[in-house]
Amino acid sequence: MGIMKKLRALSRRAALDSELDEEVRFHIETKEREYVAEGMSPREAHEAAMRDFGRVQQTREECRDMRGTQWIDNFWQDLRYGTRTLFKDRRFAILAIFALALGIGASTVVFSVIYDGLLNPFPYKNASGLTIFQIHNADEGGVRGRGAFQFPEFLDYREQNHVFSDMVGDAYTSVLYATPTGTDQLDGSYVTTNTFPFLGVQPLLGRWLNDTDGKPGAPPVFVMSYRCWKERFGGDPKLLGSQLTLNGKSRTLVGIMPNRFRYFGSAVYFPLSLSRDTPDGVNEYNRPRYLVAEERLKPGVTFAAVAADIEVVAQRLAKVYPHDYPKRFTIHVDSLASDVVGDSKTTLYLLLAAVAMLLLIACSNVANLLLARATVREKEISIRASLGASRWRLVRQLLVESLALALVGGALGCVFAYAGIRVTAGIIPDMLPGEAVLELSGAVLLFALGITLATTIICGLAPALHSVRRDLNAGLAGTAKGADSSFRHGKLRAALVVVEVALSIVLLAGTGLMVRSLYALTHVDLGFDPKNVLALDLAFPEGRYTTVAEKKAFFSQAVGKIQALPGVVSAAETMAFPPYNSDRSDDITIPGKVHSENWPTLFDVCSEDYFKTLGLRLLRGRLLSASDVDSGRFVAVVNQTFAQKYLGANDPLGQKIKFNVFDQIAQTPHNAYFEVIGVVSDVRNAGFREPVQPDAYIPYTITAYEDRHLIVRTAVDPHSVLKSVREQIWSVDRGVAVADEDVLTNVIQQYTFAEPQFGLESLGSFAAIGLILAAMGVFSIMGYTVSLQTHDIGIRMALGAQRGNIFRMIVGQGLGLVVAGIAIGFGVSLAVTRLLARELFGVTSTDPLIFAMVVLVVLTVGALACFLPARRATRVDPLIALRHE
Amino acid sequence: MGKEMGKDHLQGALDLLVLKILQRGPAHGYALVQRIRQVSNDALRVHEGSLYPALHRMEQADWIASEWRPTENGRRAKYYKLTAVGRRQLAREREEWGRVAEGVAKVLRFA
Repeated sequence: MGIMKKLRALSRRAALDSELDEEVRFHIETKEREYVAEGMSPREAHEAAMRDFGRVQQTREECRDMRGTQWIDNFWQDLRYGTRTLFKDRRFAILAIFALALGIGASTVVFSVIYDGLLNPFPYKNASGLTIFQIHNADEGGVRGRGAFQFPEFLDYREQNHVFSDMVGDAYTSVLYATPTGTDQLDGSYVTTNTFPFLGVQPLLGRWLNDTDGKPGAPPVFVMSYRCWKERFGGDPKLLGSQLTLNGKSRTLVGIMPNRFRYFGSAVYFPLSLSRDTPDGVNEYNRPRYLVAEERLKPGVTFAAVAADIEVVAQRLAKVYPHDYPKRFTIHVDSLASDVVGDSKTTLYLLLAAVAMLLLIACSNVANLLLARATVREKEISIRASLGASRWRLVRQLLVESLALALVGGALGCVFAYAGIRVTAGIIPDMLPGEAVLELSGAVLLFALGITLATTIICGLAPALHSVRRDLNAGLAGTAKGADSSFRHGKLRAALVVVEVALSIVLLAGTGLMVRSLYALTHVDLGFDPKNVLALDLAFPEGRYTTVAEKKAFFSQAVGKIQALPGVVSAAETMAFPPYNSDRSDDITIPGKVHSENWPTLFDVCSEDYFKTLGLRLLRGRLLSASDVDSGRFVAVVNQTFAQKYLGANDPLGQKIKFNVFDQIAQTPHNAYFEVIGVVSDVRNAGFREPVQPDAYIPYTITAYEDRHLIVRTAVDPHSVLKSVREQIWSVDRGVAVADEDVLTNVIQQYTFAEPQFGLESLGSFAAIGLILAAMGVFSIMGYTVSLQTHDIGIRMALGAQRGNIFRMIVGQGLGLVVAGIAIGFGVSLAVTRLLARELFGVTSTDPLIFAMVVLVVLTVGALACFLPARRATRVDPLIALRHE
Repeated sequence: MGKEMGKDHLQGALDLLVLKILQRGPAHGYALVQRIRQVSNDALRVHEGSLYPALHRMEQADWIASEWRPTENGRRAKYYKLTAVGRRQLAREREEWGRVAEGVAKVLRFA
């Protein structure tokens, strides 16, 4: 009932107002008539009646208040008034709006990255319930573990859990298909047939894979991703329904998915109908295929509940598959998005912290400006108070003004955010899920609105309360710029500027450390030269090249042909290439040396020109020769670390090594001892941060096992020989595909440099903006201080002070604030940068050089910001100043 | 010298008086002021600044309803009358007032 009345009151506001007027008028006129009847003159009667009634306006307002809609009227009135006053004081408004826009814009961009990238990146049905669980070896570090299961194991988990509404699996398969010139490779997935309904994304064309597709004897079909369709097949809709020969098997394309469907990043999807009767999937090395599992939580289930439930199942299964379960294990549960982003989360958290600080700086700036303005408006506020406005009313009006400011700032901030998000989407490295789309979506805009309202309260509340709290009479008396009444404002303003400078130091310190870290990272001595080295990942057709003889026949020809190409300096076959991990043997046996703990080593199978292609230096003995490789001799070249660690003081040459892991691999010599024939220089082989691991290089012809790469060193731009290299490969065997190719420097850039670079670029931008805002803050408060002290300065000059003295005095005051900010910021930085320590490389979190430079920069900028106000102070004419008060 | 009733005193007392007077029949604001003075023998004088906001408040709460009617001299005035809800509220307020009065009397006697 009340609400309806209120709504009606709103709509009939004007009519109700005039009714109220009429009611009051009737009362007063009736009284007037009485008085006239008693004998007063009409004018006396009118005055008496008015007097009797009392404060007409106030009574009218109270009646209106009873309607309960007054606050809307007031709000509208305040908003109009506020915008008018803001427009009159344009310089203040522009500075405040700009500061707000920068703060709100930057915050919105970071929110978009975190929301669209980490919290809600997937277009899949009920995406927030998507989880993964992994078997984590409790004796190892970290938290993650094995999240892929053998087929029967997968079914066991699916049937025996109580916490998932469904579970899907994906097994990677390399897919080769013939092209007119040779063979190309696609990343493919065998997916359990419940996968597409599980994900719930409608196909762009055609249909999903369903359960019948996977049954034995069903016609072979597959589904293609949008990117593959567009990039490899030109986006031709007629492709649907056609047959393609994939891995030697003809399949019909039944569906094409839309662009945002990037499940596992695969190009094609094959159906896998899992039942207890399905034969164990095995891959080309006769090893069981593992299905990477994803699940959806039942509503209301927590991660802890999942861990507990799965633990029970896992304990049972550990007895069935003892080789796959470590002796002690825990269950790690995480959301799918969080798992995909993985360690990159730290970069995101860094951005979040940095932008929060930037927002604080912006808010301090705006609060400062508002306080400055409040001082100037004291007279106006005092007058309004004396006219009957309550304190609360005044505060409300000032807050609404701040809201108007914030809304304009927020709108401009959204424009900045739009541009910022576009730029970020372009430069962000590969750390977010492929499905993530960074855009100014509804949720992000909502956040921007929320931040805008929050900043209104943060920036506007303190100045509003401050303005209204003071002795309003003093304001009326006209001593608006008097030292006494403004003193309280001054302290708060100074504090805000100190805070700004301090936060600025923190941001700059972080940036400086990251600059130094990135520099160190990019100047690590790798031990080899990655420039102009092309690395190619080869994919062999299924079922072929499973023997040593086949691989040897292929590579000896291919390497030879490639080396003959113009522009190619050297080429080699290899299993892996530095600086990232090669394969590993957990233990080795060296006759004559007994050891109790494990002696792990890396090893590389390669051709004889490996060393030349990468630029390793021979230190002792000799390198692998063509005949070593050709005859598959059991010889090995070790790196210096290996020699020092395991071969001891004796002559390394002639000692023998057995790689224990070979005993477990098919097609590899068991119980084979390799003679050390040479020692080469160390290269970084375990990434950038780990120390060099012991490494051994043996001829590739001793085993048929594992994938293979080609590395090619060129004298010209590697990309220019790419086409010829492919042609040479196909001239040996058209069925071999180049699955991936890249220049080594690019690989390193992507894996190691890209993310720190992105972090640095973002943090650096925030730090730069923060510094500018802090400088603005110092500038504005110095300007204000100077005008406060005009009288003082006048006296000093009249008493003989020189311009130089005044200048130094003002700059000194300003620097006092800056130094206070630096001191606090310094202390805070020391504590905060400790959190960065893990991300830094080659520099401690308290590096004195960086800190010194940051202090110097801020000091200089602060001094510059004081320059203009100080100069203005020296221009004060003592006569005018003395008359000022 | 009458006691002036305003915001300083129990707002409920003013409500009670108005509701009671309106029980006899509809009246406009001016008439209410006169009536309260008459009936209380000039002991209670309601100030217009308190009465009108109270009338609007009680109308918002649905205890009284208003209606524009022409008066004897042809002008129109806003008449208020009691609603059913208002009647119940009157009964409640009377009871409450009685209890308060009794309590005060007891304290004066025995405290």
